[in-house]
Amino acid sequence: MTTSVEPTPTPPEPSHAVESAIELTEISVRFEIPTERILSFKEYVLRRITSRIERQVLWALRDVDVNVRSGEVLGIIGRNGAGKSTLLKVVSRVLQPTAGRVVIRGDLAPLLELGAGFHFDLTGRENVYLNAALLGHLRKDVDERLDLAVEFSGLHNFFDVPIRNYSTGMLARLGFAVATMFRPDILLIDEILAVGDAAFQEKCLHRIEEFRSRGTTILLVSHQYGEIAQHCDRALWLDQGRVAAIGDTQDVLDRYTAALSADQI
Amino acid sequence: MTLLDGLPVIHMSTSSTSSTSSVVKAKIHDSSRQPPPFLEEIQELWRLRELVVLWAERNIKLRYKRSVLGILWTLLEPLILMIILSVVFSQLFRFRVENYSIYLLSGLLLFDFLSRSTLQIVEEIVVSQGLASRIYVPRTVFAVATILSYLVSWVIALVPLLIIMLILGHPITVTMLTVPAGMLLTSLFALGVGLLVATLGASFHDIKLTYQVLLTAWLYATPIIYPLDIVPEQFRHWFYLNPLLYFCSTVRDPIFLGKTAAAEAWLLALACSLGTLLVGWWVFTSRRRTFDYLS
Repeated sequence: MTTSVEPTPTPPEPSHAVESAIELTEISVRFEIPTERILSFKEYVLRRITSRIERQVLWALRDVDVNVRSGEVLGIIGRNGAGKSTLLKVVSRVLQPTAGRVVIRGDLAPLLELGAGFHFDLTGRENVYLNAALLGHLRKDVDERLDLAVEFSGLHNFFDVPIRNYSTGMLARLGFAVATMFRPDILLIDEILAVGDAAFQEKCLHRIEEFRSRGTTILLVSHQYGEIAQHCDRALWLDQGRVAAIGDTQDVLDRYTAALSADQI
Repeated sequence: MTLLDGLPVIHMSTSSTSSTSSVVKAKIHDSSRQPPPFLEEIQELWRLRELVVLWAERNIKLRYKRSVLGILWTLLEPLILMIILSVVFSQLFRFRVENYSIYLLSGLLLFDFLSRSTLQIVEEIVVSQGLASRIYVPRTVFAVATILSYLVSWVIALVPLLIIMLILGHPITVTMLTVPAGMLLTSLFALGVGLLVATLGASFHDIKLTYQVLLTAWLYATPIIYPLDIVPEQFRHWFYLNPLLYFCSTVRDPIFLGKTAAAEAWLLALACSLGTLLVGWWVFTSRRRTFDYLS
């Protein structure tokens, strides 16, 4: 009794029990910016022969280690150029890091810029199908959810009109509707809640909150501290590509704002 | 760790998958366990195959969206070009080719497909940069979709060719059933060429212009406007180095001569298409990282 039953209930690897949705290990991203832009091949060849092409090296991210648990909402703060958007690009696989390991568990949907894949000569409906396909969804699944998207965007009468006739607000509504038509396992939000009127923002936040309650992991980049404080379980402060602080939301926010005001004096 | 798990069900037994049901089938992406780019790109392309078709549809729609004649242009354009070239070359240069217009058009449609689709791939890869820097999409999606959309145009443009054949009383034979195979090989070749040129063209603007000039030279170096017979014997072996000759043969022979292309032509066309595609795919996917950093 003592020997045979014991091993089963105790989990042998505790790290495995709480799986993180996102694991970033020693992520570095280096940009090499040519000091002069060389656009023609001829120029490139000449430069190659005559002299070295000068490049300015910029580390957008440096040795970043972040683990995001499944279902967690992580707020990302930092000054402009601190690497917030680059971090999201690494997570969404748009940018392959120069070094480091990325592990992503689950479907991921970026809400980076609304309507990034839209074409203005196509109708709202056509754009919805295209955008959903870009996110890897199948046509038959989109068929099922289309009413939801129409409903959420409130574009009933304009759904079959080329979107070049849409207003900015309508575009934002369509973009958000497409991006949140399916509940992703991981949602990336980059400053998008700044568009649209208050009612629309409220609606978006409501949708995000709904996702969250159903277990979606969320990375939220925002300059509105209130938003971060209200929605995030933890906060990450990036400074010049490095992790300045990560942990309790209010604590990180306080330290960040303290650093900001110290800088300004 | 129980402290960390706030809301949902905490079952130790289901530790390998997360709590919600949809996550059970969750894909895991691990950058340290990815296959080499060459293979990864194929996997990703297959995963997004519906996007490829939708994107091709989109290209076709956009191509004709703002033109009054719409899809009719696909029919009219080669016809007009053919009439001009027929008049110029058969009247001025006097080749002894019976039904010259059929000879010309069947070859010209192939070349038209090759030049347009490859140029468009270069364009698409540059244009899609804006999209690919926001949403993760394997860039070959755009290349393959471009080939598909121009392949559709090619098929449509075969309709006026058939009509001309009927009008001229040119024999339509069963061998024409092999034409799609030739078109497929040409498409694979075009994809390979497009990826090669696009790899260079993504970094340098003048590659596209250079390629355009080369295309014109390529057209005149291939027996499309003229028959191979008029080339003096001593130069002819140079013409056999041109892969386009074999693709033309696989498509044009059944239409114009009413017989399938010679076995050597098929084999060489197959070798050229697969070889070019493999090289193009390899060059393009291994340079993929540099595209990321372009914007």
